[in-house]
Amino acid sequence: MAAVLLLSLRNLASSRLRAGLTSLAVMVGVAFVVASFVLSDGLRATFNDIVEDASAEIDATVRAAGEFAEVTFQAQAIDEDVLDVVSSVDGVEQAVPALTSSKIVALDGDGEAIETLGPPILAVNQQDSATGALTVEEGEIPDGPGEFAMDFSSADTYGFEIGRSYDIVGVAGREPFTLVGTTRFGEDNALAGAVLMSFTLDEVQRLDGNEGRINLVEVTAESGVNADELIADLEAALPAGLEAVGNDVVVEEGQEDFGAIVDVFGNVLLAFALVSVFVSTFIIANTFNILLGQRIRQLALIRALGASRRQVLLASLLEAFIVGVIASVIGLAIGVGLAYGLLAIMNALGLNLPDLELVIAVRTIVIALAVGIGVSLASALTPSRRAARVPPVAAMREGYRYGSGEGTRRTIIAIILAVPGVAGIALSLFGSIDSTPLLLVLLGGGAVLVFISITMFAPLFSTPTARFLGAPLERMPWLGITGHMARENSSSDNKRTARTAAGLMIGLALVAMATVVASSLKDTIRGSLGSTLNADFLVSPPDGGTGFSTELVGAVAALPELDPVSSTRLGNIRVNGSEQGVRATELELLTDLWDVNVLSGDPGADVGPDVVSIHESVANDLNLAVGDELDIEFAATGTKTFTVNAIYENDFLIGNYLIDKSAWDQNFSLNEDFSIAASVAEGVDFEAAAAALDQLEAQFPQLNFETGEEFGDRFEGQLDTLLIVINVFLGLAILIAFLGIANTMALSVLERTREIGLMRAVGMTRRQTRAMIRWEAAVVSLFGALLGVVVGIVFGWVAVQAIAIGQFAVPVPSLVLYVIVATLAGLIAASFPARRASRLKVLDAIHQL
Amino acid sequence: MAGFTGITAKQNSGLQAAGPMAATATGLTKIYGEGNTRVVALDAVDIGFEAAKLTAIMGPSGSGKSTLLHCVAGLDTVTDGEVRVGDTLISDLSDQELTLLRRERMGFIFQAFNLVPNLTAEENILLPLLLGGHEPDPEWQKRIIDSLGLDERLHHRPDELSGGQQQRVAVARALMSRPAIIYADEPTGNLDSNSGQEVLGFLRRAVDDWGQTVVMVTHDPVAASTADLVVFLRDGHLVGQLEEPTPDLVLDRIRALEA
Repeated sequence: MAAVLLLSLRNLASSRLRAGLTSLAVMVGVAFVVASFVLSDGLRATFNDIVEDASAEIDATVRAAGEFAEVTFQAQAIDEDVLDVVSSVDGVEQAVPALTSSKIVALDGDGEAIETLGPPILAVNQQDSATGALTVEEGEIPDGPGEFAMDFSSADTYGFEIGRSYDIVGVAGREPFTLVGTTRFGEDNALAGAVLMSFTLDEVQRLDGNEGRINLVEVTAESGVNADELIADLEAALPAGLEAVGNDVVVEEGQEDFGAIVDVFGNVLLAFALVSVFVSTFIIANTFNILLGQRIRQLALIRALGASRRQVLLASLLEAFIVGVIASVIGLAIGVGLAYGLLAIMNALGLNLPDLELVIAVRTIVIALAVGIGVSLASALTPSRRAARVPPVAAMREGYRYGSGEGTRRTIIAIILAVPGVAGIALSLFGSIDSTPLLLVLLGGGAVLVFISITMFAPLFSTPTARFLGAPLERMPWLGITGHMARENSSSDNKRTARTAAGLMIGLALVAMATVVASSLKDTIRGSLGSTLNADFLVSPPDGGTGFSTELVGAVAALPELDPVSSTRLGNIRVNGSEQGVRATELELLTDLWDVNVLSGDPGADVGPDVVSIHESVANDLNLAVGDELDIEFAATGTKTFTVNAIYENDFLIGNYLIDKSAWDQNFSLNEDFSIAASVAEGVDFEAAAAALDQLEAQFPQLNFETGEEFGDRFEGQLDTLLIVINVFLGLAILIAFLGIANTMALSVLERTREIGLMRAVGMTRRQTRAMIRWEAAVVSLFGALLGVVVGIVFGWVAVQAIAIGQFAVPVPSLVLYVIVATLAGLIAASFPARRASRLKVLDAIHQL
Repeated sequence: MAGFTGITAKQNSGLQAAGPMAATATGLTKIYGEGNTRVVALDAVDIGFEAAKLTAIMGPSGSGKSTLLHCVAGLDTVTDGEVRVGDTLISDLSDQELTLLRRERMGFIFQAFNLVPNLTAEENILLPLLLGGHEPDPEWQKRIIDSLGLDERLHHRPDELSGGQQQRVAVARALMSRPAIIYADEPTGNLDSNSGQEVLGFLRRAVDDWGQTVVMVTHDPVAASTADLVVFLRDGHLVGQLEEPTPDLVLDRIRALEA
């Protein structure tokens, strides 16, 4: 064993550069994994503290007793009269009402509605109390009509100055307010990009269109009063539908809400990190393959001197293990730095995230080591086993090559891997699996197997394909023989070509898949908008925004140029215990404005507070027909029985459940519209109608007043942004892939030292040498990129079928661009090895043995 | 007279007073390493290689014979002294200029690994021309290939050729550009005696029939005896030369040198 260890250490020491390049790939993967953990753990810890701080002084909270949020992210509204009830309970020191509105927007000095990157713009009531997390930073607390304050970082970001007048848009349109002060939320004002405005309670109620209503009452107990007893007393005094909960419950719920968001964020990061890890596995495997290939003579020699196969295998695995350990430890450190780097980037983008609490959980360390060492060992296993099979006689003989004739075996293994891989993907996408973790394991595991299988198949066609792709090099007069050699070198070893291209293939497959899905989605939305929207105009909140005043639809309807006009509200219900989205509108007007393609019944028939129209998928799942009864549970009012009056086919912008506004009014505490659909009235010119709408738009500048076409354009813009974000994250994996290409080229330069020396001797210039290496890398990259795009299109098609997007679109220009960029990047990645090759000392190269 | 020219006063100034020189070196000094590891490989050597002649360089291991070849071929830098190929002073040239010079005016034949594995025999033969972007002269190409008997093997890769065939391809490559001088570093070192004889025969014919200049390093007295002139090196010094050599004469000289 000592001899084995000595051999491993010496091998590592003798090829520091190669070991370094190998471990770099491991490091990047590990660092990304660690960063996703450190960032999400840190954010969770920080937000937990913020939630605790925010309500530290509060002993009890009185609020609606709904079991779920009737409108996502919003607390139910309750009558403010409850304040008197609460105040009259013995032991209550202070009862502070609170109302939060997301329907109020401020216009900046230029009269433009402020817009965030996605986080909400919130208006709250602020008063001088011991309980509030909101403190005055500068100026004063808003104290009467026409006054407001804003958190200091938002005021800074959007250029609001104390003492100046700004327009605030509430339910009734814009009106001037004076900024009287700036505020600080908690200690750090850690609003994560949200904007927090404060008003007096009366003003929030008025601007929100919620006169006489609040969300909750924050209660502090007189000193010496037990909080639990106070809560019991409050519960006894409260009317039905309201509850009193302790601070622990509020904190726990708040932490869960934040935790859920952080989890999603962390898991998305982790998923991208695992992609990088996967890509780096291929790169390391390739490196080990080449390294051990160069060491055949040495391996044979130690075999001849009496080392057993097992010892050779162990020595090589031990080498991988050491690389894994070192790379994991360094990757761990880089990962922590990367987490802070990502945080800085997000802050630079305008998300005011709090300072990260540094949490390095044991779990993070264990996973970092497991990933780093696991990846190293896994990728070294096959090459090491091959190395152990080198016969001792190879030490004496030139030209021993690793197992030729393995082609058939490789193909069989590839098929064996492909079958469960494809099955896993199919099961996860088309099967009915409810467990999300299982789904992800099947999908991810399936994709991993399929990618490995493709890589194993690739040698079957890599040589002719690379020769074909490299053909133009022969026709570039300025390259001459150099182009010919680049082509030959890129294609002569089919396995080398396939393995080198594998990382890039995977990266580009994922990018291409995302692009295909996004593009299909865009086409589908275009198509759906065209086929679903009968209305000429849509009014909707800004990207990521919430609902708006229910008064607006009345104003639009009052315009003689538009008819019919209807708004849609968006809330949550429970059906058979599971939470579902529901939309409320004027059902009579539905088919005038929306072409939902009614399959049976009539949405406009028997309209009342107890009818519901459902999408055909609901009808199929719950086995419902027109005239059947359906129990729907509301957060505010409990379970009600509805009758199905229609079943429809198109769910785009319509969803699965449609109720009438009369049903909403009876069962929801909150009133806000999410969209208004309007058609040009008969006999009215389109331009005239648009001009009429423009007048209203001036009153509500934060809302989008758009034609169907414009709405679609904006939707596409959002998808494009999402796609860019996804591709940026995948970019890291692709970066690793290029690292792999550079690494392989460096190793193959080393392998071909004598050949390069010979060519330099007979007259190849340094420039020609560099060109030869670069173009070789370009051909291999082109091969990987093309294969990746083909695989990505297939994956994209599968994904499109799975999420049942109507149309499948292949965005040829984007994909062509990806391939061109990848090829050029390969060319650039090879610059370092190309330089090395051109700097080889001709004599040393010729004399090397 | 079968030339044994005694080395006396003319030692280290072996510029023959014969025909024009294809390449010359004056005061050629090559020192490797520093301090304890300092090795003087060539010590102020003056030598000239006569055009249209085959010159062999011989000497015991470590005598500096390969270093001499590398330095006059522009493959290695010199520590001191001047090297000229034709009229060109090559000891001051940049890498780029040297590369072009090797490509245009020199031919090379190495002991082993002479050919680029991924190129066919024909591509290997044309490699220097193609690197320079020159069109080969088809007549000349045909003459070389015919005389070397390679026309059947032109489209084979090096690993499909025998050792002797590979060396013949290397000879063809060296001849293709009709260089000012051809350097051969142990061209028969890896070959069986028949193939070796063949290769030596081709080099001889290149000189006799086509007027080429060949400089060959060898440790084989039989190979050296095909040369017009054999020069002997020991410890970085030129220690003698032999005109019209025979294997026995060469062997005698070597024994004398090693004694």
